[in-house]
Amino acid sequence: METEIVEVSGHIIDSLILAKVLDLILEAGADYRVVDVEIGRANRDPSRARVEISSPDRASLDRLLEQLQVHGANRVALRPAMVAACDQDGVLPAGFYSSTNLDTRVLTDDGWVPVDNPEMDCAIVLSDHRARTVPMHRVRVGDAVVIGMEGVEVAAPSRPRGTNPFEFMASEVSSEKPKALLVAEVARRIGAARARGGRILAVCGPAVVHTGAAPDVARLVREGWVDVLFAGNGFATHDIESNVLGTSLGVSVQQGIPTEHGHANHLRVINEVRRRGSIAAAVEDGFIPSGVMYECIRRQVPFVLAGSVRDDGPLPDVVTDMVEAADAMRSHLGGVSVALMLASTLHAIATGNLLPAGVETYCVDINQAVVTKLADRGSHQALGIVTDVGLFLRDLVGELCG
Amino acid sequence: MNEALGWGRRYLMCPPSYFGVLYEINPWMHREVTVDRDAAQAQWEGLRTALVEAGAEVEILAPAAEVPDLVFTANAGVVNANQFVPSRFRHPERQGETGHDAAWFRSRGFQISELPEDVCQEGAGDALPFGNVLLAGYRFRSDAASHAYLSALTGAAVRSVELADERLYHLDLTFCPLDERRAIVAPLGWDRYGRRVVEALVPEPLVLDDDDALAFCANSVVVGRRVVMPTCPVRVGRQLEAWGFEVAVCPVGEFLKAGGGCRCLTLALDVTLAAPVPSADLH
Repeated sequence: METEIVEVSGHIIDSLILAKVLDLILEAGADYRVVDVEIGRANRDPSRARVEISSPDRASLDRLLEQLQVHGANRVALRPAMVAACDQDGVLPAGFYSSTNLDTRVLTDDGWVPVDNPEMDCAIVLSDHRARTVPMHRVRVGDAVVIGMEGVEVAAPSRPRGTNPFEFMASEVSSEKPKALLVAEVARRIGAARARGGRILAVCGPAVVHTGAAPDVARLVREGWVDVLFAGNGFATHDIESNVLGTSLGVSVQQGIPTEHGHANHLRVINEVRRRGSIAAAVEDGFIPSGVMYECIRRQVPFVLAGSVRDDGPLPDVVTDMVEAADAMRSHLGGVSVALMLASTLHAIATGNLLPAGVETYCVDINQAVVTKLADRGSHQALGIVTDVGLFLRDLVGELCG
Repeated sequence: MNEALGWGRRYLMCPPSYFGVLYEINPWMHREVTVDRDAAQAQWEGLRTALVEAGAEVEILAPAAEVPDLVFTANAGVVNANQFVPSRFRHPERQGETGHDAAWFRSRGFQISELPEDVCQEGAGDALPFGNVLLAGYRFRSDAASHAYLSALTGAAVRSVELADERLYHLDLTFCPLDERRAIVAPLGWDRYGRRVVEALVPEPLVLDDDDALAFCANSVVVGRRVVMPTCPVRVGRQLEAWGFEVAVCPVGEFLKAGGGCRCLTLALDVTLAAPVPSADLH
């Protein structure tokens, strides 16, 4: 599909010029999208419209453009993006372009360059005929940062349309949807992504352990369905606690009853892991006999444990510098094509902020607000599944692991 | 009776001393057709007399040998009070006229406003005021893109009309304002969008059939209640008289050989396009 933007200005509404231009586009078998229109407020005021034309092939697009020129609609001459050099580490030049998580390309003197790693709320840095997003704190003096909007093109997210109930429900959040159908479809999509060589990211909250679903996640890791894990101190601690002492926050995972002095169980476990220096060391010497973290160590699945201000301990593997934690998460996103956000609010949103819009994101939570919040913060690709994460994971394991 | 046109009492004309069909830039022009220069002179005098008798003043632009079409002063440019926007001619054959036109207007104290060089616009031949807008034609001689500039320079609200028949290559062959509500119109000359634009603009049109349009009936000059026409079919004459106009037929056959009629030989000098209007933003 070939596209061009044309601009037409003047008294184009009353003169039916805009109508004629749009009609001509359709009559030529092309399609249009009105990029923007400024309509004059009074009779005398001119109007201006920019229209993006898409046509199946270049030759017919060129013929159409020639035809439209007669009516005053001229191709908008695109200028390369403006660039300014950073003059201070970690500080962007004023007027920097702020990125979205959508596929983006930048017009440079050498032509269009795609942005390697779309991420929202970053700057775009050009170097060696390449463009990449860089978070504010990581720019360095001399980095060539894109300024303003000109020469930057963002691909509009394509909304799936179709009769498939899953597609139909995409991006909607509801607790009223048939769960079994959704889980089967998520499993099918994970399988398809894996078949394409995509990596699968799991983001887990402590409720995964509280609901008794940690063994299901452990099985997913063991059977190769998780390629990278993001979580916090809580999830890892309760996973280890439940596998070492059989409790989660002091409550027996098997019997569901509080154990005596169990409130300190997680602290004792953290303390023992700290004594050993790392989760890996605690797995090696047999202190951690099983569980999600155990399987990650055994299968060499990378994980990032990002801390928070209310963490106990924390576990020695927890990254407590938030900027470092986000960078560590970024470094594991290459090739990720499916993200499972499992009963996690803060880590799910943090991950959503880092993911390109093209990553299929499934947000499973009993609380609808979490899913809505994720979408409200720009991760429009997230499909919300409002359900108990334990039930979801049991069904997912059933679909994936048989 | 409707309010008469607020303009059309002063005209610029250029004697046909050097007029001839020396090139072919419209379907009417054929170099093998010779112009009878004496007859042309007589017809031109006849038109001038008719305008003066109708109550108009006529000013004279000196002819120039290298630009025979300078007689068609309607194409000199667009007049707006004391502002003059010189034409940007499509054909190189006529581009030499602009210097003569601009010099005359400058000498009369007009402020000259230039269109950008990359657009064509052939003056009042493709831009006629009606009501509170400027109806402007495009395709054969003027570019649609010129209209936005014309509006920006003059402050006029423009209605663009695409000319669809090469024989009616200027707007003034298809449209003649008669008064505040009426105009002679030749839909043959416009595409379907243009027809709708004029339909919405003119409450009481006098619609020419195709033959009358091609006889240049619309290329007439209106001075108050008198309509000076190159030819006047009976039906058209009756309608004009019923509306209270007097018709003065003024044969200009020698000029028709070059594709021009009465209106083409004149340029109204008393047009004001954008009367100041109160701002809609007043609080």
